[in-house]
Amino acid sequence: MKEYTREELAQCTGKDGKPALIAAYGKVYDVSESYHWRGGRHHVLHRTGADLTAEFARAPHGAHLLERVPAVGTLQEG
Amino acid sequence: MARVAREMVEQAGINVEELLELLVSNAAAELTTYYYYTLLRVNLIGLEGEGIKEIAEVARIEDRNHFEALVPRIYELGGSLPEKMNDFHDISACPPASLPKDPTDTIAMLKVLVEAERCAVRGYTHVCNMTAGKDHRTYDLALAILNEEVEHESWFSEFLGEGPSGHFMRRGESSPFVSKFLK
Repeated sequence: MKEYTREELAQCTGKDGKPALIAAYGKVYDVSESYHWRGGRHHVLHRTGADLTAEFARAPHGAHLLERVPAVGTLQEG
Repeated sequence: MARVAREMVEQAGINVEELLELLVSNAAAELTTYYYYTLLRVNLIGLEGEGIKEIAEVARIEDRNHFEALVPRIYELGGSLPEKMNDFHDISACPPASLPKDPTDTIAMLKVLVEAERCAVRGYTHVCNMTAGKDHRTYDLALAILNEEVEHESWFSEFLGEGPSGHFMRRGESSPFVSKFLK
C-alpha cells in the first residue's frame, strides 16, 4: 500500500480529479464513493484530505465504520 | 426568525450556520426516510412481512413528525429549506432507505430499516454533542428525536436477533418524546 505524506493527503479532497481521502489511526481511506462524504465533507464539520484520528475520539460512532470504505495506504508519521 | 434566540446560541460559541446545515440535512433525512419507508411498508406482506409492518409504520410516521418538529427550529435560527424538493432530497444526512431488490426478503428489509435508524442515531447524537449546554432548545429537540430513533433501532435490531433490549411497541399515540414540539 502507498505511504502518504500529510502534504499528499491534504491534496486529496475529491477535487481536481483527485480521490477523496481521509486518514485515521495511521491508515488512509478512500471515501470518494461514500454517501456520507459527498462534497468532501462529513456531517458538515469534517473535511477530506485530513488526519481525523483526534476527531474520531469525539465521533458518535467507532472506527469500525472505516471498514466500509477501502483502505488505500498508510500515513507517514511525523 | 427569533433574533435574540439566535444571538444566545452564537454567544454560547456555536457556529449557527454549521448547525443549520446539520439541521436541514437531518430534516431532509427525515422526510426522505418517510418516503422510502412508505415503499418498504407497502411491500411488507406475507407471513414474515406482516410481522414487521406495524413497527415500520410507526417509525415512518414518527420520522415525518421529526421533520415537522425540526422545521420551526431551522427557521427560528434564521435558516430555511431548499426551494426545490430534488435539492432537499440530495442533501439528506442519510443514504436512501431503498427497497431491496427482492422485496420479499424480510431480512434485507430489516437491514435497510436498521441501517437507516443507526444513521439517524449517529446524526442526532452529533447534534446533541454539539449543542449540549449551549443551545438548550435545539438540544431538547434533538434529544427528543434521538430517544425515538434509539427505540426504532432497537425494534428492528431485535427482529434481526441481534440481542435483547426489552423495548415494546408504542402504547397509545406515536412520538411520545417529540409530540411536545408538535402541539
